[in-house]
Amino acid sequence: MALLSRFLQAFALLLLAIAVSAEHTSNWAVLVSTSRFWFNYRHLANVLSLYRTVKRLGIPDSQIILMLPDDMACNPRNAFPGTVYSNADRAVDLYGDNIEVDYRGYEVTVENFIRLLTDRLDEDVPRSKRLGSDSGSNVLVYMTGHGGDQFLKFQDAEEIGAWDLAHAFEQMWEKKRYHELLFMIDTCQANTMYTHFYSPNIIATGSSEIDQSSYSHHADNDVGVAVIDRWTYYVLEFLETQVTSVTSKLNLGDLFDSYDESKIHSQPGVRWDLFTGQEQEGRLRTVVDFFGNVQNVEVENANATEPGSLKEDLAEIARLVEKWQKRDEEYADVLARNDTDESHSSSLHLKPKSKVGPTKMTEDGSWGKRLVGLAVVGVCSAIWIAGSVLGRKSG
Amino acid sequence: MTIKTGDQESPEDSTSRADPKPSVKSPPPPETPAAVQTRFRVIAAFWAVIIFLGFPIWWKTTSIYRASLPIEEMVDWAGGKPFWQACRPVFPLDIHLATPSMQSADAQHLLRTTQHTLDDLNEFAAHHLRLKLANDSASDYGEGDLGADASGEVADTALTVRLLPQENLLGPRSELHAAATQLDVFYPPNQVPAPSSWNSPLSTYIAEELQGLYGEEKATIAHILHTAGLASTSPQLAEDISRRLRRSMKYAETYHLSFSLFTPGSRPSSWDIEAAVNEYVSPLLKALSPISDFTVDTQVQLYANFAPTAPKPEFDESEAAWTLKKEDLSAFVNAAEWPLNPSIGSGPTINFILYVPEPSQSPLIVKENRASSWIVPQWGGVFLLNPTLSNDKTGESNPAHLSQDSLGPAFMTFSHQLLTLLGTPSTPASLPLRLQTSIRVRAATLLLSASSTMGSLASLTESLPSIPIPATVATSVSTTLSHLSSTCSHLREGRFGAALASARVAETEAERSFFEKSMVGQVYFPDEHKVAVYLPLLGPIGVPLVVGLLKEIKRIIAGRKAKRAAAS
Repeated sequence: MALLSRFLQAFALLLLAIAVSAEHTSNWAVLVSTSRFWFNYRHLANVLSLYRTVKRLGIPDSQIILMLPDDMACNPRNAFPGTVYSNADRAVDLYGDNIEVDYRGYEVTVENFIRLLTDRLDEDVPRSKRLGSDSGSNVLVYMTGHGGDQFLKFQDAEEIGAWDLAHAFEQMWEKKRYHELLFMIDTCQANTMYTHFYSPNIIATGSSEIDQSSYSHHADNDVGVAVIDRWTYYVLEFLETQVTSVTSKLNLGDLFDSYDESKIHSQPGVRWDLFTGQEQEGRLRTVVDFFGNVQNVEVENANATEPGSLKEDLAEIARLVEKWQKRDEEYADVLARNDTDESHSSSLHLKPKSKVGPTKMTEDGSWGKRLVGLAVVGVCSAIWIAGSVLGRKSG
Repeated sequence: MTIKTGDQESPEDSTSRADPKPSVKSPPPPETPAAVQTRFRVIAAFWAVIIFLGFPIWWKTTSIYRASLPIEEMVDWAGGKPFWQACRPVFPLDIHLATPSMQSADAQHLLRTTQHTLDDLNEFAAHHLRLKLANDSASDYGEGDLGADASGEVADTALTVRLLPQENLLGPRSELHAAATQLDVFYPPNQVPAPSSWNSPLSTYIAEELQGLYGEEKATIAHILHTAGLASTSPQLAEDISRRLRRSMKYAETYHLSFSLFTPGSRPSSWDIEAAVNEYVSPLLKALSPISDFTVDTQVQLYANFAPTAPKPEFDESEAAWTLKKEDLSAFVNAAEWPLNPSIGSGPTINFILYVPEPSQSPLIVKENRASSWIVPQWGGVFLLNPTLSNDKTGESNPAHLSQDSLGPAFMTFSHQLLTLLGTPSTPASLPLRLQTSIRVRAATLLLSASSTMGSLASLTESLPSIPIPATVATSVSTTLSHLSSTCSHLREGRFGAALASARVAETEAERSFFEKSMVGQVYFPDEHKVAVYLPLLGPIGVPLVVGLLKEIKRIIAGRKAKRAAAS
C-alpha cells in the first residue's frame, strides 16, 4: 500500500513537472525590418502592424525590440506626414503617438542584430536595447525585407545568411535565452532562411518557397506605394479578427491552417521538426503564447496567515526594523562614549555615496607605447639612411 | 633584346634593303647570362616578398585568435546531472545543541540518538544536518551572522537549539526565535533519555522538529539540483517552490531598487522617502547584503494617467470603494508613458510603485479581496495608498506631503515584496533562518548556472570554429573554474557564506566570458564569398607571377638536362 502511494506521488510529481515545463514566464518580441527607402514603405508597415498587434495583446514596450532602418512617417514624400498606414482605408495610424523604436536608421545592421540576439553588447548599452529574455521566455522573431536563397539583405550593403541566423539561435539556446521561439519571415524565398536552424524548440514559418517571390498585397494610390505584403496581411487579418484578446484559445495550428495559397500567391512554409513533441505538440501552442504577454499578477491577500504571507512577513520585517534600531542606538552610545562627536547614527543605514569626480584616463604603459613608437621611427629612418648610402655606392 | 623591325628607317636599314638578297628573319640572339640572371633575381625577389612578407601578413591578419580553453574541465563541470564529475554539491548544516542544565554524558547521548533519528528521517543525502554540542561559554546564540566570517575556517552555525528543562510539562514543546537563529526546546526533566535506550521521545521530537524546519529548504535545493522529487514533498509544496522560482528575479550581482510615487493629480508632490527607506528598507538590505548589492533610486511623477486602453476602475456600492478587477491588474502600469525601467548600470531594476489615486477615485482597492498591493513577477510590486483626504474650499484633495508614518505600511509591503521577488522561502517563520536558507539556495543556483555556462561556452567553442576567443575569456574561464571548485569545497565544509561569495565571483566571471563582446565575428562566410573577394584582387597580380615562375622553373630544368647531356 505504501509502495502504491509512493508511486502515485511520484506520478503526480511527474505530471507536475510536465505541466511546469510547458509554461513560460515572460514574452519578448524582436521585430525587424531590414530595408530602407520610400519604395520599401510596406516593410516598415509590416513590422509596425505586428508591433501594434503584440502591444495590443499585452507585451510591454520594454519587452519589444523594434528595428526600423528608415523613418517613413517623416519621409518628405509622405503625403500624410507623421503617419504610417498598412491599409488603403487608412483607418489605423500605425505610428500613432505611442511608439518606441529601439534601433533606427543605420543602427539596423547584421552585427547589431546578432549582438542583440546573443547579448554580446557593450556594458553601457541601455536595457531598452537588450533582449533580456531567459530560460522561461517565449520569443517571437519577425523579419521582413528583401531576400534570396538563404540570405536576407540588411539595408544596402549587408546581408544575413541562414547559417548566421542558425548560429545565433544556437547561442541563445546554449545560454538558455529562450524557452520557445517562433520565427516568422516575410521575404522572397523566405523558407530558405530557416533551413539551417538546428536548435531545439523553434517553430519557424515563412512566406514563400525557394525561387518564389513574396508579393505585396495592395497599394495606396495617395501614399503612392504598396503598403503591406500579402503573407503579413493575411497573418494580421487572422490575428486582428480572431485573436481578439489575451484570453484567446486559438493555437498556432489554426494560424498556419489559415494560410490560403490562392490569396498569398506563394507557398508559405512551416517547420516543426525542431520543436519538442514535433508538430502535434507545436500545433497546440496558443497564438498568445507568442504574441501575447503572460503576467500572472499575484494579489496579496492581506488577511491570509500562512507562512510567507504578507501578514507574517510584515511582522518579521517589523521585528528586524526594531532590532536594527536598537543596534543603532547602541552604536550611537558607543560612539558618544568614545568622544567622537561625529554622529554616525544615521550613516549606518546607507553607505555615504562616494563622490565620483573626474578622473584621468588610464595611463598604463603610455611611456612604453612612446618608446615603442620612437624605436619604430628610429629603425625606419636607419633603414632609409642605410638604403640611400648603399644605393649611392652602387650607383 | 629583340631586334627592331619597326617602321623607323635607319640609314643602315635602307642600305641593307638595297641588298638584292631577301632578308632572312633571324632568330633573336641568345640572351646574355647577365640578363637571365637579372630576370631570375627579379622573379625570385617578387616571390620572396610574397612568401616571406605577403603570406605571413595575410595569415596573421585573417586568422582568428582562439585562446585555448580547458574544454574537458569545462564539460566536466556542466556534465552529468546525476553524477557530478567535478563536484558533488552537499549541504551539511551545523546545528549546535546547547544544554545548559544537562550532564555532559547525558547531552552526548542525547546528541547521538537525535543524530541517529535525524539520519533515519533524511532521504536527500546531499542536504543533511550535523548536530554538535555547543560549549556554553562561547554560545552567543547566533545573532544571525549571515556569512559574516567568510574567510573563517569554521563552518557556519545554522541554528542553535537550546534545551531548557521545564517542570509541569507533559511533552516537549519548542519555540522558534523570530529574530535570531535559535530554537528553544522545553522538555520535562524526566524525559532525558536513559543511557541504555536508543530511542526517546525527546530526541525523536527534536529530530522531527528540525526536519520540519528545513523541509522546504531541502525540497528547494533538490528541485534546483534536478534530483528526482523527494517522496516526502507534498505536491502542494512542490508547486509552491516552482511558482516561487518562476516569479523570482534572475540572479544579479546588483539590483536597482526604484521606488516611484505616481499620482494622477498634482498632490501629493513630496514624500518622506529618505526616512522611509532608512527606516523600513535598509535593515532588510543590510541583511541581504551577502546575497546581492542594492542601489536605491526614487522618483515622484505627477499627472500620471492610465494607459488609454487600460480598463478604468469601477465604483462598487457594496464596498463603498473604487475597485480594480484582478485580471485587469496586469494593465495597471502604463509601461509606455510612466518613466520606469531607467537604464542605470548593468543590473536589473526592481520597480516599486506607490500609487495615490485621485480624490474622486479614492479609496481604490482590488475587487476580489480588498487587497491594496500586488506583485508583478520578475518585475516589481505595486501598492495603492489611499491617504486621508483633506477638505478645503475647492473640495476634497490629497495631502500635499506624505509623512513617514503614512508611508509605513507601503514600505513594509515593499520589503515583503522584495523578499518574495528575491525568492526567499516562506518557512520557517524566522527571518534570519529564511535568509540563511536563501544563501544556501542562491549558492546552489549560482553553482549550477555558472557551471552550465561553462558547458555552453565549451560546446560553443567546439561547434563554431570561426568564432574568435580572446585571451580575456581564457582568464575568466580559469577564474570561474577555480572559484567553482572553492565554492564546492566551502559547501562541503559547511561554510555557506564563503561558498556564496565565491559562487558570486564564479557566476560573474562566467557571464563575462560567455558574453565577451568581441566574440561576434561576422560569423559565417560561404566559400563563394571568399572567391568573390580574392579573385578580382589576386587574379591580375597572380597570373603574371605564376607564369613567370613556371617559365623560370622550365628554363632551369632544361638547363640541368642540357648540362647532364653535355657531361655524359
